[in-house]
Amino acid sequence: MTDLTPVTALGDATARQARFGALRLAERPDVGLASLALRKGGSAPAPFGLVLPGPGKAVFGEKASAYWTGPDQWMIEVPGQGTGDFAAALREVAPGVSITEQTDGFTVFEVTSDSGGASIDALMAKLVNVDPAALGPGRATRTGLHHMTVFLVRRSQDRLDVIAMRSFARALWHALSVAAERLEG
Amino acid sequence: MTRLTGGLIDRDTPLDFTFNGRSYTGFAGDTLASALMANGVDLVGRSFKYHRPRGVFAAGSEEPNALVTLREGARAEPNTRATVAELYAGLTARSQNHVGTLERDLLAVNDLLSPMFAAGFYYKTFMWPRAFWEKLYEPAIRRAAGLGALSLEPDPDAYDKGFLHCDLLVIGAGAAGLAAALTAGRAGARVILADEDFRPGGRLLSESDLLDEAPASDWVAAVHAELAALPNVRIMPRTTVFGVYDHGIYGAVERVADHLPTPGDGVRQTLWRITAKRAVLAAGAIERHIPFADNDRPGILLAGAMRAYANRWATLPGRAGAPVAVFTNGDDGHRTALDLRAKGVPLLGVVDTREHAQAFGDYEVFRGATVTGTRGRRGVTAIEITRGGKAKWHDVGALAVAGGWNPNVHLASHHRGRPVWNPDLLAFVPGADGPRGLFPAGAAAGQGGTGAALADGVRAATAALADIGVTAPEVTLPAATDFASAQAAFWHVPGKRRAWVDFQNDVTVKDITLAHNENMRSVEHLKRWTTLGMATDQGKTANISALAVMAEITGRTIPETGTTVFRPPYTGVSLSVLGGGDTGKHFRPERLTPTHDWAAAQGATFTEVGAWLRAQMFPRAGEDHWRTTVDREARAVRSAVGICDVTTLGKIDVQGTDAAEFLNRVYANMMATLKVGRVRYGLMLREDGHLYDDGTCARLGEDHFVVTTTTANAGPVYRNMEFAHQCLWPELDVQMISTTDAWAQIAVAGPKSRTLLERIVDDTDLSNEAFPFMACAELTICDGLRARLFRISFSGELAYELAVPARYGAALMARLMEAGEDLGVTPYGTEALGVLRIEKGHATGAEITGQTTASMLGLGKMVSVKKDSIGAVMSRREGLAAEARRLVGLKPVGDDAPIPAGSHLFIKGASRTLETDQGWVTSACYSPGVGSHIALGYLEHGDTRMGEVIVAANPLEGQEMAVEVVSPHFVDPEGVRLRD
Amino acid sequence: MLIPHPLLGPRDAQEFTYLGDATLLDRPDPDAPGAEAAFCDYVFLRDNPAGVHRELWFHEQGDRSWLVVTRDTVTHEILGAELVRDVRAGART
Repeated sequence: MTDLTPVTALGDATARQARFGALRLAERPDVGLASLALRKGGSAPAPFGLVLPGPGKAVFGEKASAYWTGPDQWMIEVPGQGTGDFAAALREVAPGVSITEQTDGFTVFEVTSDSGGASIDALMAKLVNVDPAALGPGRATRTGLHHMTVFLVRRSQDRLDVIAMRSFARALWHALSVAAERLEG
Repeated sequence: MTRLTGGLIDRDTPLDFTFNGRSYTGFAGDTLASALMANGVDLVGRSFKYHRPRGVFAAGSEEPNALVTLREGARAEPNTRATVAELYAGLTARSQNHVGTLERDLLAVNDLLSPMFAAGFYYKTFMWPRAFWEKLYEPAIRRAAGLGALSLEPDPDAYDKGFLHCDLLVIGAGAAGLAAALTAGRAGARVILADEDFRPGGRLLSESDLLDEAPASDWVAAVHAELAALPNVRIMPRTTVFGVYDHGIYGAVERVADHLPTPGDGVRQTLWRITAKRAVLAAGAIERHIPFADNDRPGILLAGAMRAYANRWATLPGRAGAPVAVFTNGDDGHRTALDLRAKGVPLLGVVDTREHAQAFGDYEVFRGATVTGTRGRRGVTAIEITRGGKAKWHDVGALAVAGGWNPNVHLASHHRGRPVWNPDLLAFVPGADGPRGLFPAGAAAGQGGTGAALADGVRAATAALADIGVTAPEVTLPAATDFASAQAAFWHVPGKRRAWVDFQNDVTVKDITLAHNENMRSVEHLKRWTTLGMATDQGKTANISALAVMAEITGRTIPETGTTVFRPPYTGVSLSVLGGGDTGKHFRPERLTPTHDWAAAQGATFTEVGAWLRAQMFPRAGEDHWRTTVDREARAVRSAVGICDVTTLGKIDVQGTDAAEFLNRVYANMMATLKVGRVRYGLMLREDGHLYDDGTCARLGEDHFVVTTTTANAGPVYRNMEFAHQCLWPELDVQMISTTDAWAQIAVAGPKSRTLLERIVDDTDLSNEAFPFMACAELTICDGLRARLFRISFSGELAYELAVPARYGAALMARLMEAGEDLGVTPYGTEALGVLRIEKGHATGAEITGQTTASMLGLGKMVSVKKDSIGAVMSRREGLAAEARRLVGLKPVGDDAPIPAGSHLFIKGASRTLETDQGWVTSACYSPGVGSHIALGYLEHGDTRMGEVIVAANPLEGQEMAVEVVSPHFVDPEGVRLRD
Repeated sequence: MLIPHPLLGPRDAQEFTYLGDATLLDRPDPDAPGAEAAFCDYVFLRDNPAGVHRELWFHEQGDRSWLVVTRDTVTHEILGAELVRDVRAGART
């Protein structure tokens, strides 16, 4: 075990959390991420028992989740794998595909609502040009947010994950918290 | 304060405000215009050119006259229309465009000089002498003519933006809009109902018409309540839809807090981008006036506006108790007489241009008559009525003018939609070629009667919904009647005195005649010559009247004369809200490196590289000049070891059985032969043969590569690689994805870099034999942390780049500092990085400009002729192959001095012309290694001119210096150190 | 503008990067006689039609697909959008 001490994408020792009325923001540095792309003509594996979803969709298993990122491409995520070698673990359960470690390529911010989906829809309306009605539970998409590119994964009515490149973590946290505060503050 | 009975104001909520420093009181529900009127203030501004006294003319956003500066200090907002400024407690406003007080404007002298200021006077008067324009005329004109002034302080308020999606956007919440929204709302469609007013209802709030035999405001309230309760309907008051864009995208501004003293913690305005499957344009109509002599005095209003002030705001302009007159060319004007009578206002009567005009009640009708003059210095006190050639003066307190209604076709003409003349309505209505999916309804479509507008709103919504496969339910509308609407085509009262057409720009009938006499025959020329239709109101109350006057002069019909179409925005949109709140630091999000906080803690300064912030240098206490710091950092790399965060370089993970073949086609040089565990420098060309980007390519496995790009090109190179794969060679088995952010990558450079790294890597032999120049490996460091090590060098020294998962970047940096303390390890920033690479003759964006070739860098041989790659064919074309400029080093001759970057290179004694130009300086710095200033540059046949003394000249700033041509590799030209 | 993405439905044009004429798909054979002239044509010469135009768009803030979008340059009407993958696959069959 290395004696180097990791920091979160926001630069902290521990995951940051904040609450704005019914909305909660939480940094999720524990989520292991790796991209999975099929080889040409290859068939889709079922890593961790996941049936890899079609365009615009996400699946959430007991242990792992997957969301579609492009034709024949997915992002696979498993909580609790932030500091391991997640790509290596994924390779073991998904042979014959191209896998790239992405855990530290991105920062995952979890937005949850105590008052149902409407607060999350309202937050989305302030940040992304995606129709919330087209981003219900089980949907995932990539789009622009304040000049950044983000993945949006709607895990349930009251939970949306916003995932951006790690270097944008502070800018994204700022954007999310300003919008949440204006809506709920 | 004088108020009529009734109205939609809350008399229990008085609101104090000031205008020009004097205190007044209005009520909740007032606009600034209605509150001023109720306080007897009719003079509210001065006109643009002649500084004539002006009063409120309209009751909505079309207002040409009543422009004020609202609020104070940094929040002062000039040119605010008092007619749409919602009154709040503590509101402060000032009038504009006068020198001295509003009542005694010194520039009113312009009015006496008006013969000088006829149409086109700028163009004619200020021609000569030429030099006077900038120094004298323009500054003077700008002071005298012009509306409000900016505060010149930063806007203290926050703004926001957002995105909305709906099935049906209803623009306007009047009779037609409410009926449309109700229809769509009940159908279950997702509806947005936007209205610029703070209270829904549109003209229903201003007319006395009954709906189901009750005041229309009752029906409005009931519909509003029903819509508000529907989860599929979003009601947006104070929201102006200002533009129609392609494919059903609409721009709108919501004035979230303009009706409050300050926005507090919230935002002032929000810019909404609304994506609507269909839209109903229920924007109503704007009344036009009838130009007649001296028609611009305060107290002369549009007749519909007069009704609005009386019915909605319970007030009237002019002297209390004095009789009010109406001047009309149709039945509609008579409504004003009826409504005023109902409120107990004394009437002079209705001056109707028609010989056989009917009276609709108990008041006098001056049939076949016109108003031919007015009196009253600060407000109308008398009008001259002429009938059958006989003129007679009558005392009045105010005059209402009704010239017919123009459907508000503004948004319908945004996509080059041409309005169509309707001879029955005497108005332009939206044409069939307007924006797709936009359905005009109600008064905006020429259906201005109350009952007609309600029915038309249902019709339009039903049609729009049918278009998207939604069936609308039957909607029962309230019983309504349409007032008589006969009118005569009567456009202006001929006469010798000035009759204003465009109040805001002081354009009169005479000006239009003059423009015509000066051969301005097209509407477009007329507008530009006279300035008609310009400025804040964009001629909303003037354009059609001007067109009619022009038609009359030319003897053509109105449609033959032309029409005016409109561009966004419908009303002015502030730049602050267009920015959407992204200001200052948040104008563009910053990307931070994994070692950003660590560097900041060391006192680093930062520089922007694209969106990234990179450490520029790490000044130490006592270093009082940046060069001291940069020289020290560069020397440390040459003599000991330096560390630098290079995470920002793009990293693209490339996998697949054809990855090697794919990279062979993307890179100009051979890549397929690269062995696993090795790195190669690569050049990418554009398809036109010019250099595009450079970087390294590491082979981690048989079918696994990591491509690095320059920081600036990380995105574009990835895009081009996807293009190459998807568009050119889809048959190849290759997968790629960016991993730039995943790895914190630290350059460890200098003769002691190996020693330093040996202290932290786990069980890996870093000897020159085991891990030579251009080797790479996946390994672990610091007891098991996975890492990637590349032996590559940008500085020319023995050097490595070490990558670890980004979350460990800062800890690694600290560990390297700790472990290398005795070695003199030194963090360095982009400035020293630049010095080191210039000393070594390595190219960056300053050399790879998009107009340079591989040969110019001395790398022509890297472009393989044995294989195809992007740009290979074109790189061999004559023009590029003949390129003779080559990268050289340059050193000052004689006294050392900075070589100005960007200087052009000439043979000594040659003239400075394009023909004699031999190249240019691309990069320059002080080199602590060389001990003098140095530079890189492209010079014609430079590779064969070592030792020659030439001139670097910057004629723009009068700089020139003699420089010696030397090798671009100032340091270790044989390349021994990096292989050591 | 809205681009009708074949997999994802209508998406705002701001998510896309525009490249231009879809003839860029037809890269000349580098080994054929007259390749240089063919490349000159390919790289530099474009039709600029007022009307129907096939053009390349990249879904940069999306699924990273290259699309061929058929657009009327006069009205901005989008007449169709296909994945380049499908266009290329179709061209080979």
